[in-house]
Amino acid sequence: MGSNLFSSVVSGMNAAQLGMQTAQHNIVNAGTPGFSRQQVVTSARLAYPSGSGFVGQGVDISGVKRIYDQYLNAQVMQEQSQASYLSTYYNAMKQIDNLVADPAAGASPALQEFFSAMNGVANNPDSAPARQTLLSAAQFVVNRFQSIDQRMTDIATSVNGQISSSVDAINTFARQIAALNNNISVAAASYPNQPPNDLLDQRDQLINELNKEIRVNVIPQANGAVSVFIGTGQALVIDNQAMSLRAAPSSSDPTKIDISYINGISTIPLQQSNLQGGKLGGYLAFRDQSLEPARNALGRVAAGLADSVNQQHQLGQDLNGMLGGVFFNTGTPLVIRNANNGSAAAISASITDVSELTTSDYKLSYDGANYSIMRMSDNAVTSLGAALPDTVDGFTVSLASGAPVAGDTFLIRPVANAARNISLAINDTTKIAAAAPMRAMIDPGNTGTAKISSGTVKEPPPTDVNLQQPVIITFDNPPTTFSVSGVGTGNPTNVPYTPGDDISYNGWKVQITGTPATGDTFSVVSNTKGSGDNRNALLMAGLQTRNLLVNGTANLQGTYGQMVGEVGTKTHELSVVSLAQDNMLAQTVASQQAVSGVNLDEEAANLLQFQRAYQAAAKAMQIANTMFDTLLSSIR
Amino acid sequence: MRVSSSALFESNIAEMTQQQARMLKTQQQVSTGRKMLTASDDPISASRALDVRQLDSMNTQYGANRGVARDSLLFAETALDGVTSLLMDIRTGLIEAGNVNLSSSQLKAIADDLGGKLQQLTGLANSTDASGNYLFSGFQTKVQPFVDTPVGMGYFGDDGQRLVQVSASRQMPSGNSGADVFMRIKNGNGTFDIQSAGNVGTGSASIGSVTNPAMLTGDNYSVVFSVVAGVTTYTVTNTSTGNPTIPLLIGTNYVSGQAISFDGIQFDIHGAPANGDSFTISPSSNESVFKTISDVINALNTQVGTNLANGLSRGIHNLDNAMSNVLSSRASLGLRLNEIDGLQTMGEDFDLQFKQTLSDLQDTDYAKSISELTQQKMVLEAAQLSFTKVSGLSLFNYL
Repeated sequence: MGSNLFSSVVSGMNAAQLGMQTAQHNIVNAGTPGFSRQQVVTSARLAYPSGSGFVGQGVDISGVKRIYDQYLNAQVMQEQSQASYLSTYYNAMKQIDNLVADPAAGASPALQEFFSAMNGVANNPDSAPARQTLLSAAQFVVNRFQSIDQRMTDIATSVNGQISSSVDAINTFARQIAALNNNISVAAASYPNQPPNDLLDQRDQLINELNKEIRVNVIPQANGAVSVFIGTGQALVIDNQAMSLRAAPSSSDPTKIDISYINGISTIPLQQSNLQGGKLGGYLAFRDQSLEPARNALGRVAAGLADSVNQQHQLGQDLNGMLGGVFFNTGTPLVIRNANNGSAAAISASITDVSELTTSDYKLSYDGANYSIMRMSDNAVTSLGAALPDTVDGFTVSLASGAPVAGDTFLIRPVANAARNISLAINDTTKIAAAAPMRAMIDPGNTGTAKISSGTVKEPPPTDVNLQQPVIITFDNPPTTFSVSGVGTGNPTNVPYTPGDDISYNGWKVQITGTPATGDTFSVVSNTKGSGDNRNALLMAGLQTRNLLVNGTANLQGTYGQMVGEVGTKTHELSVVSLAQDNMLAQTVASQQAVSGVNLDEEAANLLQFQRAYQAAAKAMQIANTMFDTLLSSIR
Repeated sequence: MRVSSSALFESNIAEMTQQQARMLKTQQQVSTGRKMLTASDDPISASRALDVRQLDSMNTQYGANRGVARDSLLFAETALDGVTSLLMDIRTGLIEAGNVNLSSSQLKAIADDLGGKLQQLTGLANSTDASGNYLFSGFQTKVQPFVDTPVGMGYFGDDGQRLVQVSASRQMPSGNSGADVFMRIKNGNGTFDIQSAGNVGTGSASIGSVTNPAMLTGDNYSVVFSVVAGVTTYTVTNTSTGNPTIPLLIGTNYVSGQAISFDGIQFDIHGAPANGDSFTISPSSNESVFKTISDVINALNTQVGTNLANGLSRGIHNLDNAMSNVLSSRASLGLRLNEIDGLQTMGEDFDLQFKQTLSDLQDTDYAKSISELTQQKMVLEAAQLSFTKVSGLSLFNYL
């Protein structure tokens, strides 16, 4: 009976000591990320049956468990992945948001300045200062397009870097999880009934960190290990094996980093859009769904400006009396041959109609017999038949060299580099074609009251070879018809006269109004010395409000504004959703922490409780001792 | 519910961070004066603001364009004002020369004076603007438009009219063509012109009028007088049809001042024409104001008597035509200047409206923002104070 008493007391002291140790462990780990508070699990020892009843024999320590809720933990992981996806996307998005709408820094003020300067030239076509101002304003708009594009390229480069480091982090976490899987299964095998709490916490924490980089699926295994899957079921960790991801330039576009999956020896390219959640998902979504479309939209505005100004400028005449050349230099659309193509065939592309351009990229494929092209924004496929060239959405694709084989693909980015490649083609103020190359004259001897408009040159360039040939329009008797003579007109006679109707020959058109008299003549001649003519400058200034883009529904400013609106809307949406998700995460973490977190007051109370229990057990020991002493002294 | 100690700290910090972020944003709105700091703050207003800013900048540009148009129009108006008073002076000179008592040397003096005025007129027609561009040379602003040539004054400009975009929908010519102002002036009465040369009698023709426009032929006619035994008759022949053998009127008796009419036209001849005197009637053609004046100078220098009177009378008529042509050019300049003033008022209204819209879209409402800032500051202070109190509570303080 005596030994029972002692062993019971000792079990109580042990339990109290273990309790204090656990409380102290909880206290020191109160700030450790991922730590779950631990509790000593005790049970009453089997009672000793006797005639006087079942007599308790002390306390048994069955183990130390962590307070952990599988369901809450899974929920935290899910919210965490989404929160870090959204905040990554949001933070990246803020960079272009800041870039595009600033009234001083966006492309909008530069466009306005350019057209203001064009108006200045229209007002004073032979003023050298006005022309110089136009060239400076044109340089300004070019620089602005280039610098916004450069900033976006910088952002793209830094996103590529972030993607690589995110992949590195994922690979590191995968290896650490695999190592912990190993430790845990060894520990579980050694102590089958005792959970290795801190190792489990560490592994959970690592999975949580991994989940911040990319959304994962975790499946527990019987041996205590977990399997971790990403994307559409690619295993990242199985037991103590870690697979890895690789970030490398994409085969379709070397400027882009793509993620592929390395399974032992083989490398499998992943569908990028399947990599969702987490920072990596955020970067990929930002790059593919926001940054590249924004860059293309900027490129489309630049291409629209350059192309429409060039077209009009080539219809004009400069101060030296020469026909206008191009005003802006533009690049050609970017065509990238897929690195895995079986042939060396090269494709070239050129913009044919800016109004039809979209902000999408395109994928041209050859199936061995026919070409087809896919618009990547909505995956709409157009079949192009067996031979190129062919025109889609405002650009033409042609086979530049070689012969493609089945399976060859080409990435075509019509406007991706338009903002980067725009530059000023003229630097001589006299080369600005403010005048029209021809003018109409009323013969001084006319007795009728008919007037003739100065005339306009018909779009598009190139101009008619006979544009500047002198042409005479003579009214017949009676003056209801007229005859035309001059090189290139075919010298028609008896052309019916309708006041105000277009009369068009040799690539120009004029209107005659009023009542001509018999024999009245009008002439259309080369506009020599027409330094005060502003017709072409006026038409170029008018491009500001013309609906040049999006199938003739939006002007340059409107198209730029649409891009700003899209960027702003997306950023706004992300800011709202991301904040909501952060709050959601905070609540879920709070619920999870309410179960697993350490409360210091509680632990202080536990310390006191176990201290008292220990003291009480020690007292019981003392009493038992005294009891023995009493017994022994009574025998002595 | 259990509260974990670290969660207590973390949630407080997160809450305070969010409040600080909100406060910073309000503070930025106050300090920049803009409620939209980036497009994402209000995407719809942001792209709308870009549009309005473009409209505003274009409106400002149209204002500048109107300034340019007004300057050019005023230059032309000033030159034509000079032309008007010069033509009045010349007309006075011509009426003065009509005095039959003037001696040939006095007439010569008037002719010399008119010669000087013609020089002045040429100078005005070759006026330039502030940058040395000719006002009346059409598109060829560097080419002197009016140059005296052996065959009379030549026009070397063209009919180009420079247009200025004075509002979103209006392109206004910023000047008038020199040919329209000085060269293309109908002589005679605008439909036909009666001339005489080398007559010896005192017959002088009126300017005439159109009685029936439907009967006008546009042909040339001649009126030839014959005086036989003191009876004056005249014969009218259509010289364009090439059939003078079938005259329109044959041997009609002549009464001074009685109307002579045929083919829808009517005029009268005063005085006593001599036998063989003739008048030619031709459709009005264009005659430059320079030719009108130099013809008169020529008449003053070489003609006498009735021929001089006929020359002067014709000159005065054509000068009146030139004057009314210049005045109608000035009227059209004036109308355009008026229109510019109207558009200017409208442009200023638009300006106000755009600025107002832009301000509504992007400017901070200070009263609202500052009260928000005060509230956010209060909330943050309360959070900080309560946090220090709550976090100070620990059972360990009592162990």
